[in-house]
Amino acid sequence: MPHDLLGMRNIGISAHIDSGKTTLSERILYFSGKIHAFHDVRGKDGVGATMDSMELERERGITIASAATNVEWKGHPINIIDTPGHVDFTVEVERSLRVLDGAILVLCSVGGVQSQSITVDRQMKRYRVPRIAFVNKCDRTGANPYRVKDQLIEKLGLNAVLMEIPIGLEDKLQGVVDLIEMKALYFDAGASGDDVREAEIPAELLDEAIAKREELLDTVSMCSGNDELMEALLEDPESISKDLIKECIRRATIALELVPVFMGSAYKNKGIQPLLDGVVSYLPNPTEVENIALDLDDKEKEIVLKSDDNEKPVILAFKLEDGQYGQLTYIRVYQGKIKKGDTLFNIRTRKKFNVGRLVKMHASTMEDVTECGCGEIAALFGIDCASGDTFCDPSLNYSMTSMFVPNPVISLAIKPVDKKAADNMAKALNRFTKEDPTFQTYVDPESNQTIIKGMGELHLDVYIERMKREYKAEVEVGKPEVAYREAISQRADFNFTHKKQTGGSGQYARVAGYIEPTVAVSEDEPAKDYEFIDEVKGGAIPTEYIPSCDKGFQAALKKGTQIGFPVIGVRCVVNDGAWHPVDSSDMAFQTAALGAFRDAYDRAKPVILEPVMKVEVEGPAEFQGNIFGSINQRRGLIISSTENNNSCVVVAEVPLSEMFGYSTVLRSLTQGKAEFSMEVAKYGRVPQSVSDELKKAYEEKKKKEAGK
Amino acid sequence: MDIQQLNSMSPLRVFEESINGGLGKGNLGVIVSKHGVGKTACLVHLATDKLFKSENVIHVSFSGNVEHVINWYKEVFREIAAIQSLDDAAMVYNSILANRVVMNFSQEQVPITKVLASLESLISQGSFKADTILFDGFKLTVASEEDIQKIKAFAEKMQLEIWFAVSPVRPDVVYDDYGVPNTLEKYFDQIDVLVALKYDDKEDKVMMTVVRAHGENVPKPAKVALDPRTMLIAHN
Repeated sequence: MPHDLLGMRNIGISAHIDSGKTTLSERILYFSGKIHAFHDVRGKDGVGATMDSMELERERGITIASAATNVEWKGHPINIIDTPGHVDFTVEVERSLRVLDGAILVLCSVGGVQSQSITVDRQMKRYRVPRIAFVNKCDRTGANPYRVKDQLIEKLGLNAVLMEIPIGLEDKLQGVVDLIEMKALYFDAGASGDDVREAEIPAELLDEAIAKREELLDTVSMCSGNDELMEALLEDPESISKDLIKECIRRATIALELVPVFMGSAYKNKGIQPLLDGVVSYLPNPTEVENIALDLDDKEKEIVLKSDDNEKPVILAFKLEDGQYGQLTYIRVYQGKIKKGDTLFNIRTRKKFNVGRLVKMHASTMEDVTECGCGEIAALFGIDCASGDTFCDPSLNYSMTSMFVPNPVISLAIKPVDKKAADNMAKALNRFTKEDPTFQTYVDPESNQTIIKGMGELHLDVYIERMKREYKAEVEVGKPEVAYREAISQRADFNFTHKKQTGGSGQYARVAGYIEPTVAVSEDEPAKDYEFIDEVKGGAIPTEYIPSCDKGFQAALKKGTQIGFPVIGVRCVVNDGAWHPVDSSDMAFQTAALGAFRDAYDRAKPVILEPVMKVEVEGPAEFQGNIFGSINQRRGLIISSTENNNSCVVVAEVPLSEMFGYSTVLRSLTQGKAEFSMEVAKYGRVPQSVSDELKKAYEEKKKKEAGK
Repeated sequence: MDIQQLNSMSPLRVFEESINGGLGKGNLGVIVSKHGVGKTACLVHLATDKLFKSENVIHVSFSGNVEHVINWYKEVFREIAAIQSLDDAAMVYNSILANRVVMNFSQEQVPITKVLASLESLISQGSFKADTILFDGFKLTVASEEDIQKIKAFAEKMQLEIWFAVSPVRPDVVYDDYGVPNTLEKYFDQIDVLVALKYDDKEDKVMMTVVRAHGENVPKPAKVALDPRTMLIAHN
């Protein structure tokens, strides 16, 4: 296959859980000739969809990890990243979005825009990913693609426009009318609707098709740069060529001004081919998207990368996977090209390595290639790296812009059941932390327990399951613990002397100053976690020991004295001190600063902060009262509630510690008809009663450990 | 300045004075104007003032989406905080948010009894002790008399101040000199306080007139008007 940059598409498929994106991916593979039969996610044959490579995903019917797959449609190479849909795995989604040039937003024709679609859409906006929408499951009872289009406009603020209208709906779904070609498309030819049959528009749909086409043309002509279409529309609508319409739609879609809406049913094999045509016609090729790297040699100056095979290569490792043959690193080439045997430089580790085996992926099977051109997605074998690393030509020192990685909010202790499990657990944790930056692990020096941290209960559950299945590491799991923070609420002065005289050279340092809470400058500029200010005058503390004070404070902040969690939002100011020419040292000043902080901390009225989640509960309106009640019982704050038809969406802020087991409670409260999603909103102060409890528990824990 | 000072100097104190000391619990108040004159800003200012006084507010919206309403509050707060150079603005804003809930309905689909039931379940099951409810975008001019009676009864039962911001939807509406549409006349008995907003060409300002205050027809100009830049209630 020649390296055709202009014809290439790197796309993702993003959606709400259960809106059928895995089935859609599967059908795309089938129609593009990559596979010759398809299986369903919850299929009876037990084979499962090809895209869900992990056994666990197959069992749960959800897609956790992205698999990158290369297909070809009408001569255009298309790389498809199947992105996970559950909110606990949003880092996976975001990392995938980073390497995409465009995306298909899959929506359920019955459920429409759901809370997850809103999260995913927000992520797409952040990474400026042009998208087309696919209204799936039009064969379902209650299907209404028109309503879904309206929701795209109302709920997501997208300039959505129908490219097709359905021929029949629910169990009568037969096909679609293409509003540009003004032709009916039926998917009843060939074994599984392999061939599209074109026909005249059914008479009863003609008026509607004409009206919707007009709507389409109006909307498209209003987008910037489409004046030519606007003029043609005013002068002679009959004369408008289809190519002009497509060109205008393409321009507006790439500029994020328009979202073309396609529809069908992946399960029933309807509407897939026109969607693929849409991907080729309206989503950008790699040269049409601006990608930026930071030049580390030039104060992180932004460099626009050139989508050109002849430039020096710049590559992003966006996903790691542990395969049968070692670590598999998914990469996207942003600039230049790479061949087997090329030498590359890992910017983070500052190490050079040689490109060994290079493959293109098709879900679980792979194809060996000798080179990988610009804009392409491939995978490397045997490279030691973490996801998010940038690889460059050794003469460059570029880093792809850092990706947004939220801090973990929940942790739990795990204990291997035996020696063998301990070894396997170590291997598994090593792999997982490389694959997923939001999954972290460490050994607590006090309890000697292995702690894992992540973004939610389900997030950690999945990794524990994977440890068992993929690594045969049986572990005992502790109670989940919330990542609390400590903070101060007022200024406190300190004047602390550290003195030690035990024969030989002693230690002496005195530091004076104050600590105070940092405040948010504005909404976009939140309060700093830590700030160190040196206001020492006249050499009361020699300049060489100023960084020692800084270090000492930072050491103190790592573990607050209330409940042993990190202290955030503190400004430490040093304005006076004293030193001794013989007895003062780096260590002495560090110890003095640490002591000074601990001394002032109690006087600064310390408080405990907890992660507060933004929770969205969606369910039938009749259960609204129950939902309100369940939030109220969890120290939650109701932000808003929206009622439409018979469904309601309640948005609230609830402390994470109160959300454990909420899915079970919600299910029983609403007869299983409501669902919820959550993400970290902020850190908020815990009420006094909770604070007292936490402190008591901490004291007890300390006593127990001391008694050991 | 701090929040107490801000409250005491607020033009809303003057506004309250001109409606005989405020609306009062169990009563219905209406702000009426043509579309685009600034009734939503006015309503949100009213709500923000309540929030500043640590009262609890439910904002009921029928037209816009929730984000849109929340942005209104953000904007209005930002303006007030900037004009009065409020201390610790970011902290004050975060603390007042706890006292506000936005409820969004589409009026065509949700009958008023359902809206009131939802409000009641928020107040009781959600333990949100509301003091004031604001109806933004409720089509009062086309609502039935029975609907209004139900809302009035609800206000009395739950001891709430209820404010409406109303713009007539029908094109054939006739406005009087103060900006009151004739379609509102049939509800006069139900309304405890009626305030009209009208754009005045000569002054280049939106004028506020108290048309009714606690059962009496008293067309008198309020001593406040809307600031033409921020659309907030300001000293005249």
